[in-house]
Amino acid sequence: MTTAELVRALRHDFGAAIQSVEEPVSDKVRVAVTPESVVAVAKSLYRDYGARFLITAGIDSRKDRDGFDVDHIFSLDKEQIFFIVRTTVPSDGPHVAAITPEVPAAAWAERELQDLLGVKADGLLDGRRLILPDDWPEGVHPLRKDIKYGDWPPLGDGTGEATYPWKPAPEGTSTVVVGPFFPVLEEPTQLRLYVDGERVIDCDYRGFYNHRAIEKMGDSELTYNEIPFVAERICGICGFIHSSCYCEAAEEALGITAPRRARYIRSLMLELERIHSHMLWTGIAGHILGFDTVLMQTWRMREPLMWLCEKISGNRKTYGMNIIGGVRRDISRDLYPEILSVVEKIEQEWAQLYDAVQGDTILKARLVGVGMLPEETAKALAAVGPTGRGSNQAIDARADHPYAAYDEVPAKVITHPDCDNWARVVVRLEETLESVRWIREGLKEMPDGPVMATDIAETVPAGHWGVCTVEAPRGEAIHYLVTGGDNRPDRWRVRAPTYANLQALPSMIKDETIADVPITLGSMDPCFSCTERVEVVNMRSGEAETLTHQELLTRSRAATERLRGR
Amino acid sequence: MARAILEIVLSLVILIGLAPLAEGLLRKLKAIIHSRQGPPIIQPYLDIAKLLVKEDLAPTESWMWRVAPALCLGATIVVAMLTPIGGPPAFAFGGDIIVFIYFASLAAVAIILGAFASGNPYAYVGGSREMMMMLSVEPVMTIALAVAAIKAQTLTFDGLMASPVTSTPSISMVVAGVAFLLALQAQLGKLPFDIAEADQEIMEGPFIERSGPGFALFRWAMHARLMIFSAVLVSVFVPLPNLGIPVLNMVLTLAVMGVVLALVGVVDVVNPRLRIDQSMAYYARVVVFVSVLALALAIVGH
Repeated sequence: MTTAELVRALRHDFGAAIQSVEEPVSDKVRVAVTPESVVAVAKSLYRDYGARFLITAGIDSRKDRDGFDVDHIFSLDKEQIFFIVRTTVPSDGPHVAAITPEVPAAAWAERELQDLLGVKADGLLDGRRLILPDDWPEGVHPLRKDIKYGDWPPLGDGTGEATYPWKPAPEGTSTVVVGPFFPVLEEPTQLRLYVDGERVIDCDYRGFYNHRAIEKMGDSELTYNEIPFVAERICGICGFIHSSCYCEAAEEALGITAPRRARYIRSLMLELERIHSHMLWTGIAGHILGFDTVLMQTWRMREPLMWLCEKISGNRKTYGMNIIGGVRRDISRDLYPEILSVVEKIEQEWAQLYDAVQGDTILKARLVGVGMLPEETAKALAAVGPTGRGSNQAIDARADHPYAAYDEVPAKVITHPDCDNWARVVVRLEETLESVRWIREGLKEMPDGPVMATDIAETVPAGHWGVCTVEAPRGEAIHYLVTGGDNRPDRWRVRAPTYANLQALPSMIKDETIADVPITLGSMDPCFSCTERVEVVNMRSGEAETLTHQELLTRSRAATERLRGR
Repeated sequence: MARAILEIVLSLVILIGLAPLAEGLLRKLKAIIHSRQGPPIIQPYLDIAKLLVKEDLAPTESWMWRVAPALCLGATIVVAMLTPIGGPPAFAFGGDIIVFIYFASLAAVAIILGAFASGNPYAYVGGSREMMMMLSVEPVMTIALAVAAIKAQTLTFDGLMASPVTSTPSISMVVAGVAFLLALQAQLGKLPFDIAEADQEIMEGPFIERSGPGFALFRWAMHARLMIFSAVLVSVFVPLPNLGIPVLNMVLTLAVMGVVLALVGVVDVVNPRLRIDQSMAYYARVVVFVSVLALALAIVGH
């Protein structure tokens, strides 16, 4: 089905409710619908046309048309179409009908809409706060344009007694609180497990302790060219996916085409990042099960890859290479053999690890049949990445909406039908090998030429938009960008994959034992800070205190030089 | 009398005093398999020394909370005096196998009671896991010792060590020894059976609220279990030749204990953790197939 056919079908079903249709780039459509029909249109897309819900972006457009835009973003994966349903609600006491009752995956997105933009979603079963802290005053919504970045609402009454309305514990259960700080949670988040003995009967979640308003920064403080570097710091493990995703969305909105070589370099770095991230995850999964040998050995295998990335980009992580229109650094042909030898060494060691893991009966006893996420649930909650693919959902942005160089060198989508923790392990282990294969192919196909676009217009028109998905190691990340007038976006919406996957957690740990909760949570490779769009900084404080900024910079550069000389 | 005191002091020095060293060596072994340098082998001593001088924070007024660590280490010291190291135990009297099992269990019970007293939900989960482990592992150990007792027609380690049963191989003793070895992994709280502490799941369970001297005593008692249970395994079930000189017998036993502990250490490093239901099912199978087999063989005289 093409976009034209889809729009025709919707016009036939909904008539005048479809107010306008834009398709600035082929296969990326935004239709404006009346507030009364938004639920019906969303339901029809989800039920009749197999569209997958991605995220909702609320936009404060009061200065242009006295209202708030609510954009529900859908993807038709097979047809490679992005379909955005926009409705505009009046700015006075804004409210919109919730699509969650029909499209369950939208639950968090609509709670976020209420929190950050103050657009009430009518009909939510669970309309509790998602992001705003418990003591945040009512009626202050940070993403509205009249709130400045860095504004702090007046403090509460000082009693400090604000509490979260947790779900009441079911009859006959006791409550085990996991977090906000817990050994296997690298970042703060809180789970309340309602348990009967060892068995988890129900659970409740509270997160977003680390929200740092990066989206707000993007539409009020930063410029287009600065955002890639902040975007990369959304995540400390897979940051490059965010800068790539932002740059591709921005290039689309601004009508810029990055040169082919730059697109290959993006794909190459993305695959290197996927390898190191999956290796990191495998180690952590071993650690969660008390299998520290796996942790130590996978991280030992991973280290040469980190050195390689430092050699390519100057940094082990957070490569800082993406800019709108291409990349800042070329990769010398002299480095190709070394890239190949590092990843092929990993390939060889990884194949051994894969064999060992498959033959480990105790490991299997802990993983097989645990943390079940049935296919229908995965589909309804729009689980992505290895979490979705482990439940047989062939969702992979590299194939669904090819970006960077994946249109020319495709990546194989790896799925597994078992729907359990074991399936998610196997998917990741195989994807690591697939990434090595991609790098081998990609290096062979990589064309010569410039790495930056040069024909970039000086001024950027307002009101253009672009949407892009990038397959992070954890799943699909989405960036949606609407251009503004002052050299910065009017709205920059980011959705990290864990945002989608975490919503599936309650069904995955229900009826499991407490012992299986950490590994089930771990099996989705959760990245809370990405979900919350913040940066995690680790510093050995003792060392940092004795060094000035300049000294640190000198040392860091010297280390890079040492590697170059190797 | 002086000789008896000397023997008691010697076995306490070996089984209690050297226990942290054994733990340190196991950590080193683990580090080597992990491809890392690892802490110095005296690290467990340093940990205990550090904990001993720290403040003892208590989450509760409960007297059980306060006495549990002393009860645990105290019971362990009594057990150590009853433990044979290649020869008769230091503090021997009639019926001491039963007293041994009784005090060994008491040490575990002290951990459980201390956990329940803390009021912490994680400690509660850890305590109940510890109890389930105890209920599934103790029968294995008890039946294995019963096999030896039946073979040697005695209930004392004194009698056992003097009997040819412990120095000449027999089918039932080998099978019982295997059962004891399988139980050892869980008795020592090593992977895949470190379920009660499971730091990634329940943050060391019974010990989550512990700090300072109380924690030091628990840690020390846990280390001592390494020495005590491996000493019983080697002395009773490994048919070592009697070298005639007690000190040489002791040294030989210690050497074999080192091998046993290294084996335990390797199993610990190359396995993930089982769930409590899985490990209980495992020990149920061990009891049925191995321990009962050994017992049956012993009764019919093999």
